[in-house]
Amino acid sequence: MLLFLQSLLNGILLGGIYASYSAGFSLIFGVMGVINLFHGEMVMLGAFLTYWIFTLFHIDPFLTVPLSFFSLFIFGYLIQRFVINRVVEAPPTNSYILTFGIHLIVAYAALWIWTADFRTVTTSYSGMNANMGGIIIPYARLVTFVLALIVVAGLYFLLYRTEIGRAIQATAQDKEIARLMGVNIRQIFAITFGIGAAITGIAGSLISTYFIIFPQMGLSYTIVAFCVVVLGGMGYIPGVLYGGLILGVVQSLTATYLNAGLSGALTFILLFIMLVLRPAGILGRGIVE
Amino acid sequence: MLKKSSPLILILITIGLLFVPFGGFSEYFVRLLAVIFLWIGKAGCWNIISGYTGYIDFGAVGYYGIGSYVTALLMSKGNAPFLVSILVSGLVSALIALPIGLPTLRLRGAYFGIATLAFAEAMKQIILEFDKTAGVNFFEGPHGITLPIGPKNEFFYYIGFAVMVVVIGIAYWIKRSKLGYALRAIHEAEQAAELSGVDTLRSKVKAYMISAFFLGLIGGIEAYWLTYITPHMVFDVLITIQMVVMSLLGGIGTVFGPVVGASFLTILYELLHRDFPYTYTIIVGFIIVVIVLLMPKGIVGTLTPAGRREP
Amino acid sequence: MKIINLPLLPFGKGGWRDLVVDMPILEGRDLTKYFGALAAVHAIDFSVEKGEILGMIGPNGAGKSTLFSVITGVYKPDEGEVFFKGRKISGLKPHAICRMGIAKTAQLVQPFREMTVLENVLVGGLHGKNLSLSKATQEAEEILECVGLGAMKGMASGSITVPDRRRLELARALATGAEVLLLDENMAGLNPTEIEEVLKLLREIRDQGKTLVLVEHIMRAVMGISDRIIVLNYGEKIAEGIPAEIANHQKVIEAYLGEKHASYR
Repeated sequence: MLLFLQSLLNGILLGGIYASYSAGFSLIFGVMGVINLFHGEMVMLGAFLTYWIFTLFHIDPFLTVPLSFFSLFIFGYLIQRFVINRVVEAPPTNSYILTFGIHLIVAYAALWIWTADFRTVTTSYSGMNANMGGIIIPYARLVTFVLALIVVAGLYFLLYRTEIGRAIQATAQDKEIARLMGVNIRQIFAITFGIGAAITGIAGSLISTYFIIFPQMGLSYTIVAFCVVVLGGMGYIPGVLYGGLILGVVQSLTATYLNAGLSGALTFILLFIMLVLRPAGILGRGIVE
Repeated sequence: MLKKSSPLILILITIGLLFVPFGGFSEYFVRLLAVIFLWIGKAGCWNIISGYTGYIDFGAVGYYGIGSYVTALLMSKGNAPFLVSILVSGLVSALIALPIGLPTLRLRGAYFGIATLAFAEAMKQIILEFDKTAGVNFFEGPHGITLPIGPKNEFFYYIGFAVMVVVIGIAYWIKRSKLGYALRAIHEAEQAAELSGVDTLRSKVKAYMISAFFLGLIGGIEAYWLTYITPHMVFDVLITIQMVVMSLLGGIGTVFGPVVGASFLTILYELLHRDFPYTYTIIVGFIIVVIVLLMPKGIVGTLTPAGRREP
Repeated sequence: MKIINLPLLPFGKGGWRDLVVDMPILEGRDLTKYFGALAAVHAIDFSVEKGEILGMIGPNGAGKSTLFSVITGVYKPDEGEVFFKGRKISGLKPHAICRMGIAKTAQLVQPFREMTVLENVLVGGLHGKNLSLSKATQEAEEILECVGLGAMKGMASGSITVPDRRRLELARALATGAEVLLLDENMAGLNPTEIEEVLKLLREIRDQGKTLVLVEHIMRAVMGISDRIIVLNYGEKIAEGIPAEIANHQKVIEAYLGEKHASYR
């Protein structure tokens, strides 16, 4: 029984982690229709930014989160503004291939510069856990779980209660009308992409405190993000919480009771099944263009 | 493009290539050409489904890997002859392509891409888990299989040459056939095609299965050549990426695009990968970006004037 | 008129059903299609006789295009059925319905842009009529001459004018060997001379034995050429009859009241 609860809790925390770095992917797709295949690289960049600052200047990872946010925002903004914007109006397949090209460039440049070594950020509190009746709750992961909730809530606040948010929503719903109403579409797209990159980057920063990081880690994160977002509904931001939780719990239970390797295969099989049977997500709130 | 003389030049080059192994060239050169031929074959297969229909397949390596493992098992455990093995590999891949293709080819372009990617990755994981789950015990090392030692490079030169000619030939034939018109119509305006009588699902699945057959076949050939295979080698997503960028660069949807793209990129790879292993992939990334933004029709596509049917 | 619905006898072109003239060639019963909570088409009955030209009119959003999409199989009706030559076709895939003999042109023309004008029509002949490449090419060239696009057969279809693209759509639909043609605003944006040309063409097509259903907003054209007219509004059929009746029909006038129809004469 204890094993089950521990496995379940691990799955929930894992789900939160998944949700935290998938929200950006959903946002970008929901607003711009771009399936960003270098999404995982933004996790990687956030993680490595934190790693280097920690290693070189001994600054605590949690303190680098704001820096990560702003750096990735700028990165995302610039790439969207000058590269991706050219294909936003074209069929989605183009953005797909294009972002994959960018993935290759960023991942392999990182590989070249930083080498393939595995790295971690180990702080004084890295291994610390809470212990509730025999169930172990690692603090670091708990923080990321909370972050996921904050991010989703923050995005909700941004989209529904701010001027910019309303402009973003208008653009997402109908570009032409938004344009006629005076919205600078290019700017909105760039800002949206920047925000998507930023929130993904801070997730990456926190992830560095308990997962192993390496330059090619991006692709598997992109795939998980895709799976989470398809499960929860493409473009439906709260859905990443559902999608993440489902995926996390399923993976955790499979690893505990069946086989660790199988849980990896499960992500892909689950993704495949979802795409074929229910592309609009578990709740059916996703965009299926 | 020289209209009248190009078929003649093509035939001359083809005949010339047949004699290369006897021309006193280095072993390295023969091997390089064989590698190019097989890449032309692979890219050509990818182009038959993705180039013609516009459904960008990111899981092509799945069939390549399946073919590799089928041949490996047949030849090492079943003592089957090479030609039989690769044909069976092709058939198995094509058969698996049917239940995979039917549901996924109904999806819209980008979703199809991820679904196929998921398929290929799932295949890799499944093989990695196979021995533990199924309790079978024929893997050596990290889920690898060793095949019987094969003949010299010249053998693979001619096999590769034959496969290349067949694949490009089929691509050429399809383009001018009813199926080719159906595939192009699907690419341009799928619903209009369906309303004009094209059985879109069936056409897409046909192209997908043809592509899978030859990918499986080539996977078998290369498994024999490599002599030792592991899931990470033969289900590597970078193999799919190579196929994609070779077709993109050469000219997606054209018959000879894969020839141009595969030749260029294989040579580039040979030049770079020893000393600058990551630079090649970075360059591939840049090529993709440049092609999508500036030259979406690729080299052959851009050189062919619009409205004129490209051979 | 009786509808005989016998299973699986040779039903294709030239089959026994062509001999039975006692039934409408195309019929819809109680057709309903929902998008979310909105019924785009609701409880519509209609029938078309072989060789007839049926006009379908109604304000924008009345459900005319949706009805065409239901007939051709793009949408499956939520309720009701469609019959072609007495055989139920609702629920079949669009390509199957096309091969049986129904083709339509779209409001927003969709040529196969990168393919030539000739190749566009070829697709119809190859797949809608199942001809060989040589036969289909021959027929395609004839059809293009017929609609007046013969000179443009080698041009990329994405580069011709919109009126020409409409003629191309018509040519492609003809090439499929369709016996019933559903034309959705095929004359939109044409000047009076062009409209006359198209009307002449449509009469020729009907004289060759085809049946036409036209959706048009150009009243003079529709009233002039149609044998009968049905009127849709808010997804329902509100009137049916010969043009003279319709022109004076109370409900029809109400439906259009308040809408500026510049071409209404």
